[in-house]
Amino acid sequence: MKRKSLLFVFLLFVVNLNAQIKVESLDKHGLEKIIKERNGKVLLLNIWATWCVPCREEFPDLVKVANEFGKDKVEVIGISTDFPEDMKSKIIPFLKKQNVNFTNYVSAFKNDEELINFINNDWNGALPATVIFDQAGKKVAFLEGKRNYADFTEQLNRLILE
Amino acid sequence: MKNIKTLVAVLLLGIVFSNLILAGELKKTESFSLKDYNGKLHSLSDFKNSKAIVLIFVSTQCPVSNAYNERMAKLYSQYKDKNVKIIGINSNKAETAEEIKKHAAEKNLQFAILKDENNIVADKFEASSTPEAYVLNGNLEVVYHGRIDDNRKAGDVQTSDLSVAIDEILAGKAVSNPKTKAFGCAIKRVNK
Repeated sequence: MKRKSLLFVFLLFVVNLNAQIKVESLDKHGLEKIIKERNGKVLLLNIWATWCVPCREEFPDLVKVANEFGKDKVEVIGISTDFPEDMKSKIIPFLKKQNVNFTNYVSAFKNDEELINFINNDWNGALPATVIFDQAGKKVAFLEGKRNYADFTEQLNRLILE
Repeated sequence: MKNIKTLVAVLLLGIVFSNLILAGELKKTESFSLKDYNGKLHSLSDFKNSKAIVLIFVSTQCPVSNAYNERMAKLYSQYKDKNVKIIGINSNKAETAEEIKKHAAEKNLQFAILKDENNIVADKFEASSTPEAYVLNGNLEVVYHGRIDDNRKAGDVQTSDLSVAIDEILAGKAVSNPKTKAFGCAIKRVNK
C-alpha cells in the first residue's frame, strides 16, 4: 500500500515536471549568441506579447511549425515583450494554454527600442514580428505583423531544401 | 449660392485627404477631416495657427496605449494653454465611437479623439501601432514621429521624446530627435 502511494507521488512529480515551462530572460548579448549558435539549424524568431491580439492569433501556427519541422532542422524561439513580473500571471499560463513546444524568453533588452532596432531597423515596433535566420545565422527574412503557417513554411522550406 | 453651399457641404462631408508630400526633408501632409466620438467634424487645417499639432494614434483596448492614458492626459493639460493642439486618432476597426467616448471619459482624456473609420489617416501617415505620435508644425509638416517616451512604465522613463520635441518647437528650435520607434499594439485595420 505504501509502495502504491509512493508510486503515485512519484508519478505526480513527473507529470508536474512535464507541465513546467521555463521562461528565462534574454538580453541583446544572449540573443546574439542564439543567432550565432546555429548548429546547422534555421532559426525562426517570433516577437510577441500576451496583450497583443494578433500575436495570440498567430501563436498556434508557430506551435504547428515547431511540431512539423524536426527540431534538427528548425529552431523556433519566441521572445515575449510582456514585463518580466507578468511571468506567473500571464506568460506561463498563456504558453501552457498554447501547449507550447518551443523555447520562449522574456525580453531583457534595455528598452523596447533596443530590441526593435536589433530585430530590424525598418521595423516600427508593432507586434507581432518574425525574423528568420539561415543555418549560418544570416538574417534572410523579416515578416512584420500577423502571419500564418503557410507564410512560415514557405520561408523555411526554401532554406531547408536549398 | 446653392452651388457654394453644395461645394462647402461636399468639402465638409467628404473626407478630404491627400498624400503626404515630401517637401525637402520634412513630410508635408495636407488637411484631412474626421469626426470625433461626438460626431463633430474636425479638419487639420483648423489648427494651422497652432504652434504644434500633435496627433497620437490611440486605442481603447491596447494595454500599451492604455499605459499612456495618464501621460497623454498630462500632456494635454501641460500644453493646452501654449497653443499646442493634441488630437487622438483611433483607427482600430473593432473600437467604436461609443466605446472611445466611454473610454475617454473614464480615463479623463480631454483632448479630441477622432474616429478614423477606414484607416485613411493611418494609411496616409503609415502609422502602424498604438500609441504612435506625429507632431506637425503650422505648415502641416511632420517634424516628429515616434514614441511618447522611452518606457511603457511611467516610473522608468528616461527620455520624454514627444515633450522634448514639442518644447523645442515652442522654443523656435529644430527638433533634435525627429524620429524614434513607437512600440505597441499593431493598428487593427479594416479589411480592404
